Amino acid sequence: MKSDLTLNAKDLDFFYAGGVQALKKINLPVLKNKVTALIGPSGCGKTTLLRCFNRMHDLYPGNSYKGEILFNNENILSQDFDLIALRSRIGMVFQKPTPFPMSIFDNISYGLKLKGLKSRNELSEQVEKALINAALWDEVKDKLNVSAYDLSGGQQQRLVIARALAVEPEVLLFDEPTSALDPISTGKIEDLIVHLKNDITIIIVTHNMQQAARISDRTGFMMLGDLIEFDNTDRIFTRPSQKLTEDYITGRFG
Amino acid sequence: MAVLLKKNPIDILFLGITAIASLSVVLFIAGILYILFTESSESIGKFGILQFLFSLEWDPVQELFGAATSLFGTVVTTVISLMLAIPIAIGIAIFVTEISPNILKGPIGIAIELLAAIPSIIYGMWGLFTLAPIMSNYIEPALQKSIGKVPLVGMLFKGTPMGIDLLTASIILSIMIIPFTASIARDSFNLTPAVVKESAYALGATQWEVVKNIVLPYSKLGVFGGAVLSLGRALGETMAVAFVLGNNHQITSSLLDAAATITVTLANEFTEADTDIYLSSLFNLALILFVFSFIILATAKIFLLKAEKRYSR
Amino acid sequence: MTVEKRRQIESAVALSLSTFAAFLGLFWLIFILGDVLVHGVSAMKLSLFTEDPAPPGIAGGGLKNAFIGHVLITLCATMIGVPFGVLGGTFLAEYARGRRIARIISILSDIMVSVPSIVIGTFIYAVLVKPVGHFNGWAGAVALAIIMIPVVLRTTEDMLTLVPWTLREAAFALGAPYYKVIIQVVYRGASAGILTGILLSIARVSGETAPLLFTSFNNSFFSVNMNEPIASLTVTIFQYAMGPYDDWHAQAWAASLIIMIFILILTIIGRLIIKWRYGKR
Repeated sequence: MKSDLTLNAKDLDFFYAGGVQALKKINLPVLKNKVTALIGPSGCGKTTLLRCFNRMHDLYPGNSYKGEILFNNENILSQDFDLIALRSRIGMVFQKPTPFPMSIFDNISYGLKLKGLKSRNELSEQVEKALINAALWDEVKDKLNVSAYDLSGGQQQRLVIARALAVEPEVLLFDEPTSALDPISTGKIEDLIVHLKNDITIIIVTHNMQQAARISDRTGFMMLGDLIEFDNTDRIFTRPSQKLTEDYITGRFG
Repeated sequence: MAVLLKKNPIDILFLGITAIASLSVVLFIAGILYILFTESSESIGKFGILQFLFSLEWDPVQELFGAATSLFGTVVTTVISLMLAIPIAIGIAIFVTEISPNILKGPIGIAIELLAAIPSIIYGMWGLFTLAPIMSNYIEPALQKSIGKVPLVGMLFKGTPMGIDLLTASIILSIMIIPFTASIARDSFNLTPAVVKESAYALGATQWEVVKNIVLPYSKLGVFGGAVLSLGRALGETMAVAFVLGNNHQITSSLLDAAATITVTLANEFTEADTDIYLSSLFNLALILFVFSFIILATAKIFLLKAEKRYSR
Repeated sequence: MTVEKRRQIESAVALSLSTFAAFLGLFWLIFILGDVLVHGVSAMKLSLFTEDPAPPGIAGGGLKNAFIGHVLITLCATMIGVPFGVLGGTFLAEYARGRRIARIISILSDIMVSVPSIVIGTFIYAVLVKPVGHFNGWAGAVALAIIMIPVVLRTTEDMLTLVPWTLREAAFALGAPYYKVIIQVVYRGASAGILTGILLSIARVSGETAPLLFTSFNNSFFSVNMNEPIASLTVTIFQYAMGPYDDWHAQAWAASLIIMIFILILTIIGRLIIKWRYGKR
């Protein structure tokens, strides 16, 4: 059982600079090669929790963690943990597409080049593989040297996913990846996420409950910094054990 | 909006007054161009436009005038000052936006703005009384003893170090434009959306890699526009260089020689011009300076507008 | 050495260089300010403000004429420049809002802000000094006003644009004509910002030297006659600093310190108003 866990948050507290506690004693075991969804009303801490897993909070001074997050049984919250190595193993996709100001090819190969890969052939190979995995290859294979800004919003988001996939991470964190997209692009990305879990572990934050129900295996419901309930998705959406969860799912608030 | 104006005479009057007030800016530009052109017509007629630009003569006694020596000083001081100022200004901008702890960001930002407000005459006077002696006693001899010995490069540092020369003037000019350039660079850096930087960090980039690969490319239009704007400023700066350049009309290979810029020539000679052709030639210099600055400033503005448009969405 | 290690070292080196550049830049700037402060304070004397200059070469005397002249020129420039700037900005932000002409004038003003000020001096010399036959205070004031107008105009435009359009609509709905809406509602909403723009433009022109050199020129005697040459602090600093006497140099330092403090205070007040009115920026 233990080896099935990729990430495991244990008694995790998180404080923003200034001392506001945003997460309270979170215990969240993340199963390998499954999609874990985090849902809850705005401000419940779901994005804050997601950003703990690649220690994004460390970019801004004054934030602090308590407790531990085990990544393959290593505590990533320990002081001397190498963040650069961590982030190349745990990728992240944001709410809005974030193409870099460079060509499509350079966007995808960026992470690989950081890791020291230089051979043009190998880079091309990896770029193609990542784009195929992100279901974008057919649309861009003839214009790899075009600026990434020239793609549509949905394409940009898949480009960003391809960019994250190129470095072959073990985990991919999605922060409301479809909230800025139209329904067709959203559908494509949802299909992609389901497809990706064969190779990687996925955690997705979403404000869209149907989306969580459609694509995730496990769902956590959060409120005011607490993880209220965490269970198999079908159970959360059919027979939640907590009253709060039920109220939220049935749309009685939030 | 026109509907609102209907039948109210006072409104039409107010519109007229404000329109005239705002058109005054256009009138000034046209007026400056027209007046400088007519005033320099005698000089243009006698020497021709191109000949005046390229003639090395500047001889009030024989009444022979050309802009080349002043242009030389202007170009050399401007180029050297930008070469010194831009890296430092970008360093300051990187420090303020990426490195400095939050509590320092405000004070440093205010310091930069205050320093940009210090008038140039103060920089000039400091240059004359403080920097020039330091240059002639320590820095310039040291330069001569070190890179002055290198063949070819040594040419730049020949002569007696007096402190009143192209190098000192360029350094003062660079110190003066640093705050200005830095504040534009910082504003451009800040246009980079935090989430794009986070995406790079999320791929495992180091802080420097984020600056180099994301922030700088993202803000290059703005930074470039800022650099061109600084170029325009440096070009037309008078008082910061007037004290320490010596107003010597010559073209020289050594940065340790006195020289003249267009602005320094104007500041020193305008009230002394005793013949019509002398005065007309000085107006001619002013015209050249105005036209060049205008073109450069307009270019800078275009880049800055493009930068704003591209990333403000 | 692993790739990661190398990248981290590279990052540390590059960031240290940036930090070094930042401190180098700040070092020079603090050096200058400190130097002006030290020399200026040691040369500060009451007689500076109460006496006119002594004849060249004779120690003593003061800069009363230059102080008064400077204030007079700046005041006149403000009186000409502010109305033009505020009204011009009003046209761009209100009557011509969104039109091509507003955009063009706005861009031209931005360029005018940075046009070499000495060129404006030569222009005014040709139109206000040569025809009159002698240097005069008005010429200096007009030269400064021309520098001031685009600064005030652009801030006014920006500040009026910040006033929400719905505020105007509310006033229109009460049947007010546009000019009344502007004067009674819009100006009131933008007053703090416009005031800041005016303060900063005064700070800008009160340090100007180049446009005064051949307009108001200089005067070793006390004069408040704007039709005659008039002394200003900045031109006096230039003349004294380039002159041969130690006493002149000391007075030039003192005058520099006073101008610097005046400008810094205006700039800080401007910032405080913005902060107080528009919150953190």
